[in-house]
Amino acid sequence: MNNITQRDSFWNKIYDLAKEDKDIIVLSADMGAPSLDKFRKDLPDQFVNVGIAEQNAILIASGLAKEGKRVFVYAIAPFITFRCLEQIRVNNSMMKISITVVGVGAGFGYEDSGPTHHMIEDIALMRSMPDLVVNSISDSVMAASVAETSCQMTKANYVRLDRLVLPVVYGQDEDFSKGVSILKEGDVYIATTGSMVHVALQAAEQMSKNGHSVGVVDVYTIPIYEQNFIEAIGESKKLITLEEHFVSGGFSSAVCEVLQDNGVMIPVKRIGIAMDKGYCYAYGGRDIIRKHYGIDENSVVEKITEFLK
Amino acid sequence: MRQKLKKKALEIRKHILNMCIKAETGHVTSSMSCVDILVALYQGCAMRHDPKNPDWSERDRFILSKGQASPALYTILADCGYFSMKDLDKFAQENGKFGVHLQNDVPGVEITCGSLGQGFGFAAGTALAAKKNRDLFLTFTLLGDGECYEGSIWETAMFASHNRLNNLVAIIDRNYLCVTDFTENIVSLEPMDERWRSFGWDVECIDGHSIDQILDVLERVRSRRSTQPLVIIADTVKGEGVESFCYQPVCHGIAPKGDDAKKALADLERRCSYE
Repeated sequence: MNNITQRDSFWNKIYDLAKEDKDIIVLSADMGAPSLDKFRKDLPDQFVNVGIAEQNAILIASGLAKEGKRVFVYAIAPFITFRCLEQIRVNNSMMKISITVVGVGAGFGYEDSGPTHHMIEDIALMRSMPDLVVNSISDSVMAASVAETSCQMTKANYVRLDRLVLPVVYGQDEDFSKGVSILKEGDVYIATTGSMVHVALQAAEQMSKNGHSVGVVDVYTIPIYEQNFIEAIGESKKLITLEEHFVSGGFSSAVCEVLQDNGVMIPVKRIGIAMDKGYCYAYGGRDIIRKHYGIDENSVVEKITEFLK
Repeated sequence: MRQKLKKKALEIRKHILNMCIKAETGHVTSSMSCVDILVALYQGCAMRHDPKNPDWSERDRFILSKGQASPALYTILADCGYFSMKDLDKFAQENGKFGVHLQNDVPGVEITCGSLGQGFGFAAGTALAAKKNRDLFLTFTLLGDGECYEGSIWETAMFASHNRLNNLVAIIDRNYLCVTDFTENIVSLEPMDERWRSFGWDVECIDGHSIDQILDVLERVRSRRSTQPLVIIADTVKGEGVESFCYQPVCHGIAPKGDDAKKALADLERRCSYE
């Protein structure tokens, strides 16, 4: 499944399922994808373009879902989370109406679009609400799998998709029900999520050349499945968290809460976007932006090396 | 029947006032302005519903978008038999089943609502589902006029007319008052009828306290031939029936206490005597 975006993988799977199930409805806030062009053409009764109106999109979706439809609402990530947060809070968290919110452009996926399109606070935001699951997608195999499981979910979920084509790290038969997967064994672990999985794997590889045994755990379901996560990091005496997200309230905060609540008192190095760095207008590609924030591969290796001294 | 409904509306108003005085909370004035509309919908045969079977799949859906009028809806639902009138005694109190804003786990209530501008969009989603499923039920939704300041209202208004949701009926409780002032002093909402027409809606303007006018328009909604959604702009008085509360800004979201409560009850009694 190389050379395919997460969103195309996701929507291809939804297309296959929707052909057999007329209750699957896709609501787009005027957001497209090559895979959705096919959906719109072949299944016009199951595709609704609500226009650039995300608040209304969530409300229409929730009304449809209450009447038995399985609804996917799709837009660029910041607009389908922040813009309509209160609609999600009331309808999908409070009233527990199950819809799937699909946001594309996690992290710096919209690399040259500037901070309005960067999505570096969504985990903090969406995990703050009960009865809402965050699926943080790291490759296109996972995207297809989450598309399928979303159709059976009784809770609402938010699927954060990367915009760019990323390497495939999972086999087709991977079991994603565990919420966490060990991608590389090691003596100490990097816990990471989304596109940073790929940075973590490269950093771990570089570390191993320097004689450090560093493993990588991909955490893709939040709330974190606590016992699976604790088991995955095993006897790791220290832990590194890595995220393309502000460090306050996001992925690293979720990990630290799990460690604290389970009495796992190990030193943790949180590598992410420092709050005092704020938003940025750096251009020239994702790696340039990551360098600006010190979360590119080499910066990560430096920080981990210092932490493990 | 219409004469009985007029009496029923006064009876409901008394229940609401007593309930809120006892609880020392609740949006009395917001409730009073929409009592006649709710009585006509639920007890004037305008809406298909079955108190014994709140989840009946063919019921017309009623979405209260101005969720602060929950005392009015709860009282009417109790009066219809969805739950016991005794439940009203514990409104917004310990061990009570419901509070100041609307909650969806109360029998007969479709949504949780307290944040404005949301129920209307939810109602449009419900109406769209009915179209897709070829269901024949209608979706009614009641909006506050102040609620029309919310941008999402107009997102939904555009969506509903574009998608020809002629199974959607919105009623606007046009009481001209918000929390701190009259709407036309805050940010003008007029000409409201022309605004809705320009968004592609059929518009009816009525006296929202005239059971006759409300029923005359509601009785036609099921057989109307238009492809477009319908908005009924119902002119009302915020606090209708409690004279001392009417035309008074800053009476939003409060229940009268002490002498004010006595005066409010006397207002209603006086109204009953000459109706």
